[in-house]
Amino acid sequence: MTLSQKGVNELSNPYVNEPMLDLYIFESMQLLEQMELLILSNEKSSSYASEAINEIFRIMHTIKGSSAMMLYNNISTLAHSLEDLFFVLREDEPRNVDYSELSDLVLEGLDFIKVEIHKIRNGDEADGDATGLIESLRVFHATIKGSDFKVEDQNLADGAVSHENRTPEKQQYYISKVRTETTSLRNTFQATLRFEQDCGGMENIRAIVVLNDLADLMEDYYHLPEDLENEDSARIISEQGFTLFLKTDRSLEEIHKVLIETIYLKDLQLTNVENSELFNDLHQEREILLEDSSVKLPAFSSRDQVPNNYEEKEFHSGANQPSIISVSVAKLDQLMDLVGEMVIAEAMVTQNPDLKGLELNNFEKAARQLRKITSELQDTVMSVRMVPLTGTFQKMNRTLRDMCKKLNKEVQLQLIGQETEVDKNIIEHISDPLMHLIRNSIDHGIEMPSEREIKGKSRLGTITLEAKNAGGDVLIIISDDGEGFNKDRILAKAREKGLIQGSEEEITDKEIYNLVFLPGFSTNEKVTEFSGRGVGMDVVVKNIEAVGGGLAADSVPGKGTTITLKIPLTLAIIDGMNIKVGDSRYTIPTTAIKESFRPKITEVIVDPDNNEMMMVRGQCFPILRLHDIYHVKTDVTHFTEGIIIMVEQDNKTLCLFADELIGQQQVVVKALPEYIQNMKKVRGLAGCTLLGDGSISLILDVGGLIGYRQATKV
Amino acid sequence: MKKLLIIDDAAFMRLAIRNMLLNYEIEISGEAADGAIGVEMYKQLRPDVVTMDITMPKMSGLEALKAIKAFDPQAKVIMVSAMGQERIVKEAIISGAKTFIVKPFKEEHLYQTICKVLGI
Repeated sequence: MTLSQKGVNELSNPYVNEPMLDLYIFESMQLLEQMELLILSNEKSSSYASEAINEIFRIMHTIKGSSAMMLYNNISTLAHSLEDLFFVLREDEPRNVDYSELSDLVLEGLDFIKVEIHKIRNGDEADGDATGLIESLRVFHATIKGSDFKVEDQNLADGAVSHENRTPEKQQYYISKVRTETTSLRNTFQATLRFEQDCGGMENIRAIVVLNDLADLMEDYYHLPEDLENEDSARIISEQGFTLFLKTDRSLEEIHKVLIETIYLKDLQLTNVENSELFNDLHQEREILLEDSSVKLPAFSSRDQVPNNYEEKEFHSGANQPSIISVSVAKLDQLMDLVGEMVIAEAMVTQNPDLKGLELNNFEKAARQLRKITSELQDTVMSVRMVPLTGTFQKMNRTLRDMCKKLNKEVQLQLIGQETEVDKNIIEHISDPLMHLIRNSIDHGIEMPSEREIKGKSRLGTITLEAKNAGGDVLIIISDDGEGFNKDRILAKAREKGLIQGSEEEITDKEIYNLVFLPGFSTNEKVTEFSGRGVGMDVVVKNIEAVGGGLAADSVPGKGTTITLKIPLTLAIIDGMNIKVGDSRYTIPTTAIKESFRPKITEVIVDPDNNEMMMVRGQCFPILRLHDIYHVKTDVTHFTEGIIIMVEQDNKTLCLFADELIGQQQVVVKALPEYIQNMKKVRGLAGCTLLGDGSISLILDVGGLIGYRQATKV
Repeated sequence: MKKLLIIDDAAFMRLAIRNMLLNYEIEISGEAADGAIGVEMYKQLRPDVVTMDITMPKMSGLEALKAIKAFDPQAKVIMVSAMGQERIVKEAIISGAKTFIVKPFKEEHLYQTICKVLGI
């Protein structure tokens, strides 16, 4: 959009407000995604189903209209070209269509529009230039039209003529009510109407509307241009105006009154024609013409043709209000924040220190009710924010398609459990990582078809994308049947980058595979177009960690690789166990807690390196003293005086030693203040929260603590 | 206050029309996302004027127009068209649509069009 256009947008489109822009973006993106799926599913069958063609035509038509209303002319023009193309596909059903090329072109167009809409969403100008693409579309259009190349070419270049115009037979509807006697008592007027430039074309049809308006007032009439069916007539009227000679028994004022009401009227000249000779001449001339051609009488009412089968169609009575509304995520975030505050406030009331030691039966009852409602409210708000992974998973089809095409590989994508739901915020964070991992799989994992045949695999590689719930987490598993990780190369690379601490003999295969997630690691010497931009895996890990998730890799040489993303169901509120260490409070997510108990001194073992361990039912687990790692002063330093909380994550178990348990409650996860995060990296903390008595509690990150214990062990 | 029924499959267009008429004495008495629903709503709501999109998934604007005109020959329907739909607009006018408006259009033109159709 140029500056001047933007000006227009602001000045003359005062009705464009934020909800409208949101809706424009939302609806257009939804349509584009729908269209992308259509293209991808149809491409496989090497021709497009007619419903798909219809649907794409309609989608492009809608986007064209909406974009034009928003004055995004580049989008609107491109959508128009695509609409034209699908119109030809729909109407002419051409045979010689290269559907693969068509898909490429259409997807390119789709991407262009998506990029522009992204710009719009970010408040930038939609300034992309689609002329190159429109030209390609035009050439493609011309090829499928075959011999019509020149004509179509010309028409499209003019932009004057469009698909829907190409009526097979000429129809002529508008003739005057030819009266046998033309009495000289009537007035004869000449009217010339000009329409405004921005009336959107179709001036010839505007002229027809004018004739309709006057239909009851005129005895007889004649107009220039003569043939309003002709496409050229719109241009002629636009340039020279529409001239109408009419005979009527009404006065000049009456006619003027009707004509001046014409919409998009720029100017009107209405004069009394004294000499009705002129009219009679024209009239006669026309009558001769009319005798030659078979003219259809106007069919103003077509009552009989209306099909009557709408009754059974779905109809929501009084459906002024749609049953589904779209709400901006920002509002949901706000709602979630409020619910979070309320959970804290509830705790502040029900666990208020002032109540300590008081017997308050009625209060307890009321407090229980409050707690129940808060928790229901929270569940409801959560469920509103939950979105199925379907869209994110489906998007990967596109990544797969583009990659396979460029790399000449044959890969199919299997989607399992795409109905699994996660928080809307999390979805936004995992889309890019997933895309990157799929690219990696195709680029580095899956072999070339010929290579696969030699290895005795099927030519067609398979990537499986699976989602499932596991406790408070969602697991997303990406597995391929490619060649698997090369252990030696990973090791060599890690050594070279100095990423291995300790001796290499002790490293398990699994640990080697997980080295790829370390910052600055990339085994691919060649940087390809798709993967290995040097930032790849780093960004994946950062994105996943940002939502409190984690990654794990496993691989079988020659058989394939599996990467598992573990992401929390939601970020905002967790069930936690509050514990006390000295004057500090900590919260452990209850999903991680296996059990807690007061240890006996006989169960504690100390190894020669002074590592403390706990024997539980014949198994040995490491102990981590919380007061030790967080340097908290406490009187409770003997195991027998405090409490052991056994936590588990990723099949690794750790015993945490704390002073005492305070109690279980729902806590709102708040990120650690940025200045603390910037100052130093505190290990094993997932965030912080506010307790009922107003004190701050640090939320422990069990995975981090397990890693901490392992690091200090070596 | 005159009542308007909006028939358009694009939620964006429905909102656009609604917003454009916010400051005028016109009540949006209903919105329909498809021609068939639009026809039923017309029968129930009996609005003074209808804005009718042309390209819609189940029942097109032209079919819906014909159905509405069959039910109520006095129905005042404004076709909301886009560039490239000359033929359909023409057919709609012949089938009884009062007039038409071409996307993109401005607030004042929409209002003028509606006023003219309503004769106010």
